[in-house]
Amino acid sequence: MQGKKIESLNLAIKESIKPMQDVADENPNAEVLVRVIKFSDGAQWHVSQPTEIHNFKWTDLDADGVTDMGKALTLLADALKLENMPQRGLPPVLVLVSDGQPTDDFNGGLKAVMEQPWGTKAVRIGVAIGEDADLGVLQKFIGNAEVKPLVASNVQDLVKKIKWASTVPLKAASNPASRSKDTPGGGVNVQIPAPPADAAPVSAADVF
Amino acid sequence: MKPEYKWSVIGQSVRGASHLRSGLPNQDAIKFHADTDGEPPVLLAISDGHGSPKSFRSAVGAQRAVEVAVRVTKTFLDGMKDLPLSAIKNAAERFLPADIVKTWMQEVDEHLRCNPFSAEELDRLEREAGVAAKQAAIANERHRIAYGATLLLAAVSDSYLFYLQLGDGDILTVSDTPQQVESPLPQDASLIANETTSLCMDRAQKLFRFRFQSMQGIPPALILASTDGYSNSFSTPGDFYKVGTDLLGMIQKNGLDYVEKSLAAWLDDASRSGSGDDVSLGIICRCGIAQPGHNPGDVAPEESRAVQATDQPPQPAPHPE
Repeated sequence: MQGKKIESLNLAIKESIKPMQDVADENPNAEVLVRVIKFSDGAQWHVSQPTEIHNFKWTDLDADGVTDMGKALTLLADALKLENMPQRGLPPVLVLVSDGQPTDDFNGGLKAVMEQPWGTKAVRIGVAIGEDADLGVLQKFIGNAEVKPLVASNVQDLVKKIKWASTVPLKAASNPASRSKDTPGGGVNVQIPAPPADAAPVSAADVF
Repeated sequence: MKPEYKWSVIGQSVRGASHLRSGLPNQDAIKFHADTDGEPPVLLAISDGHGSPKSFRSAVGAQRAVEVAVRVTKTFLDGMKDLPLSAIKNAAERFLPADIVKTWMQEVDEHLRCNPFSAEELDRLEREAGVAAKQAAIANERHRIAYGATLLLAAVSDSYLFYLQLGDGDILTVSDTPQQVESPLPQDASLIANETTSLCMDRAQKLFRFRFQSMQGIPPALILASTDGYSNSFSTPGDFYKVGTDLLGMIQKNGLDYVEKSLAAWLDDASRSGSGDDVSLGIICRCGIAQPGHNPGDVAPEESRAVQATDQPPQPAPHPE
């Protein structure tokens, strides 16, 4: 990802921090901790330590190269192992953002995530930047036919959808209500409200 | 033959801080049975209604669960008198979960028959959980999800104790010699991220955890049963287990009455500064563990009646996500 897309993503994340802090303040009984994985040629932690949202600062991403999404998911799966997660915790929210097609073993990475109990119980959201993003893999990641990937086609739309993806699922997952293990709904354990409508670009230059 | 030990039982259930904010009721329930003379059997049942949009009548489900559990278990214990312990153990493990589940299903079905789902309830269900959830609620055999709840039960008889658990929550035993806190039931590692097994699940009777203990030696000083709103209010399992020894110390020093009077406030604090969830805690206490003057039935000298109200359970911490 490069150029306007990566600049827009960095802007969108920075603009989402305060709304996430507001959600955390509205749910004082849930401690919100954030980590970030970046992937292009390979995958690595961009923010490796679970960081309390009020202490979270964003360092701009620079992700030039291919799209090793499978490696990112394998790294994620390791973090979700039972021994690496708190014994008691609310469902994690996983937001996968991509502008392209995976260039490595995506299915293997996703399988590794779904082999972790915390992976299956996580709220999984997909955000596509531009028309070259593979919506099929994002849908596979989400794993719920009722929840579609968010597609951002311009700068304003990406900011709006990253803000939604960063806050609305978080608010839903922060509810202490429990759920029976076999309730119908395709294994969805947290109900997510419908995403926002598309935002129009301010100018043609803002279109991806 | 008179039983060697006598018991008291207290408990409290408080509405969660997040429920106070959102306007939801307390969806936990607690019920206990003990005779005034402290002779066994003593029973303690706790239930946590799920509270998710699909389980919109789980407060009713939880209330029915504790009532059924105490009633069915009392009847079971009355029928087990003079039988060998092995026969009682086998019967409890084999039949009690099935009897409890079957009776609970009958009672929630009757509640639904007398109180059909309203249009408002179904519209809210569709708004919050989707069309599939609404269709499931109307469908035969899936309506009980609306009443979904967990169940924890501790039973003390004259020569044995047993514990039953379906879903999340905790049963702990606290011994006084030596001081030790234990979980008598195996953990269910699949109960994470607020997912739980439930009375509303298919074949729920097969999902219970069970432990039977004959009363050899000195039985526990305390048996604690709590919903997960309490343990989720603590940063670590170790911090939560420390509640056991703290409560034992308080009861030994100040008596069970003091703990009973303070319990609601402590549980409110736990919810407010911890999980935000409804919090319920029941305590079965072996009589005679408190200092003289503080046991039930003791006549306390005037100078020992002053209670030092300075002890507090460990302070909980926010729930990590």
